[in-house]
Parts: sequence; structure tokens; C-alpha cells
Amino acid sequence: MNKKIALTLLLTASTTAAIAGPIEEQIRFRQSAYSFAAWNVGKIKSQVVDHPETFNKDAVAAAANAIAAVANSGLGALYGEGTDQGVGWKQTRLKPEFFQKKEEVTVAANTFNVAANELAKVAATGDINAIKTQFGKVGESCKGCHDLARIKE
Amino acid sequence: MKVTIHIWDLPLRLFHWLLVAAVPAAYITAKIGGPLIDWHGRIGIFILGLLVFRIFWGFVGSTHARFLTFFPTISRLAAYFKGRWQGIGHNPLGALSVFALLAVLIAQVGTGLFANDDIAYAGPLSGLVDKPLSDQLRGWHNTVFDLLAALLVLHVLAIVFYRCVKKHNLVVPMLTGKKQIAKALATSISANPATGFRAIGLILSLIISCIAMWGVSDGIAYLYHPGQSYQQTAQANPGF
Repeated sequence: MNKKIALTLLLTASTTAAIAGPIEEQIRFRQSAYSFAAWNVGKIKSQVVDHPETFNKDAVAAAANAIAAVANSGLGALYGEGTDQGVGWKQTRLKPEFFQKKEEVTVAANTFNVAANELAKVAATGDINAIKTQFGKVGESCKGCHDLARIKE
Repeated sequence: MKVTIHIWDLPLRLFHWLLVAAVPAAYITAKIGGPLIDWHGRIGIFILGLLVFRIFWGFVGSTHARFLTFFPTISRLAAYFKGRWQGIGHNPLGALSVFALLAVLIAQVGTGLFANDDIAYAGPLSGLVDKPLSDQLRGWHNTVFDLLAALLVLHVLAIVFYRCVKKHNLVVPMLTGKKQIAKALATSISANPATGFRAIGLILSLIISCIAMWGVSDGIAYLYHPGQSYQQTAQANPGF
């Protein structure tokens, strides 16, 4: 009896997972992660580059920490096989070549990781010029991956 | 016997060579990205200023800068292809190239103003459209660039063709404003030197160009996005 229940639960769970779509889920989570990062990138851009008169050390440090947290969260887990096709919040733009270019992808991802963590460190000092320089490097690391693995509109 | 006549006025030449500098600069800053993407935006605004200037100069500039002087009408194109066209400014085929380049550059600036780079740059007018459209415009910005690059290659090849095959140097007149033509042709009506340069037209074109640059980079933004942005919150943690 207990086995039957366990089996039913297992079946239900796996069916639910299938309906939810593990591929769509990965795409949705990674799109969310980058959107969240983009909000924080926008704050730093605004307060450090575009309107330095609004610079708030704590707000910028918090934003940099948030970006680093996204970078450190293990996003690679959301790039499972088959996730170059599917709809998360919207259709994914991951290039199919992503899965053939594992080495380049790893380099690009690590570049972002290192740049984002360095930004968090620099942001903690409150040195606006140093933040601006490091922020540019983070932007370059974003572009590195976009050029490599993202389909252009 | 050759005589030297004045064809390209100084503002026209400045427009041309500033554009020659600005377009590659815009391309390179976009390719490198990072902090240079802000310069890409600024150069784009500058190109917009150049284009607005050129359009007005096409009405109030001197003879061979005016669109009506060289507009490629069907009859002019027909005459050109039959070898009967005579003149010293843009020939009808070259005129087609001029209008095509202007149209593509306008499209390029127009899409760029509303686009974003999905990293840390949003065009000065991107707030006027929603994000999916702004993303789509980035795509068109890429596509239009390919078209622009193709036209520029054609433009340079045509200059090389004229230099090597037809023995016409087109670059020197664009630098000096002066063109050497056969004396026999100089007396004909189709070889009229550039006249009608007016300072008032130049000042007006420059003012309109500056207003356009200010308008898109700052002016319009004030209308739809006044005051402080939510991204400039003074609090790191507004209570939660």
C-alpha cells in the first residue's frame, strides 16, 4: 500500500515536472537572473556614470553585491542540454552553438564572474572612479558572452 | 587645356570628412563595447547632427550641394546611361548613391536612438518605446548597419573605378573643393561653378542641427522622464 502511494506520488511528481517543463523552467530562471542583474547594472550606470551627483555609496555597493550574487549563483546549472529551444518569460535566444563551444563559454562565464566579484570589492570602497572603471569591465564581460552565445534580434 | 573650378563648398566637404571619421568611430566603439558604448551613443548623436545639417544644406547650400541640382530624375538617369549626361557635380548614378547613403544613415541613427544594448546602454529615446520594441530596433540597427557597410564598400569601389578606369580623381575635389575640367566643357552651361553660398543659410543649418542634437539627447527626455529616476534612490535599502 505504502509502495503504491509512493509510486503514485513519484509518478505525479515527475508528470508535474514534465508539465512544468524543466527546460522552460531553466530558461525562465536564467532570464529572471539576468533581468535582476540588469536592474542592478542600471542603478550603477545611473549613479556612477550618467548622474554621478546622485552617487550613493551604499546603494551602489548593494547593487554590485547583487550582481556578484547572480554571478556566483551557479548559472551554469540553467544551461542544460536542449535549453537553446523553448520559451521562458519569452523565447530563449541561446545559440545552439553554445553546446559545442563549452571551452569558450567557460572562459566568457569566468570573465564575468571575476569582473562582477571585483566590482563588488571595489564598490565597497566607495571610490567612484575605480567603480566606474571596473563597471566598464563588467559591461565588456557581458558583451563577451552575448557575442558568443546569444542570437541577435 | 584644363581649367579649375569650384564645385564643393567648405561646409559640404566638412560634412563629408567628419562623417568619414564618425562612422568608423561609431562602429569601433560599438564593437569594443564596455564603457565605450556611451561614446557610441555620443557619436551617433553627432552623426544625427551631421545628417540634419546636410539635409538643410541640401536646400540652402551652394549649387552642387543642393538636392534639386543633382536629384536623379528618370530623364537624367536615362541621359547618363546613354552617355549624354554632362555636368560637374554628382552624376545621376552618384546622386542615387548619395540619397541611398543618406536614407540608410537616417535609418541607422533612427533605430539607434530607440535601441538598447541589453547591458548598460539605452538610446536617449528608448524610454518612448517598450522593451521588446527597443530590442527589435537593436536587431534592425544591426541589419541596417550591414546595408550601410555594403553601400560604403560600393562607394569606395566606385571611387577606385573612376580613378583607375575613367581617370577621374574624385577624392581631391572633395578635399579642396576644386575640380579640373577641360576648357571646352567649362564654357558650357552644365559646368556651372558653385554659387549661392550664403552665411545666413549656413548659420541656420548649424542652429537647426544643434537643436536636433540637443533635442534627442536631452530635450525630449525632459518631456517624458522628468526628475529623479527610480535608479537614483538615495536609500540602499528603503525599509525592506
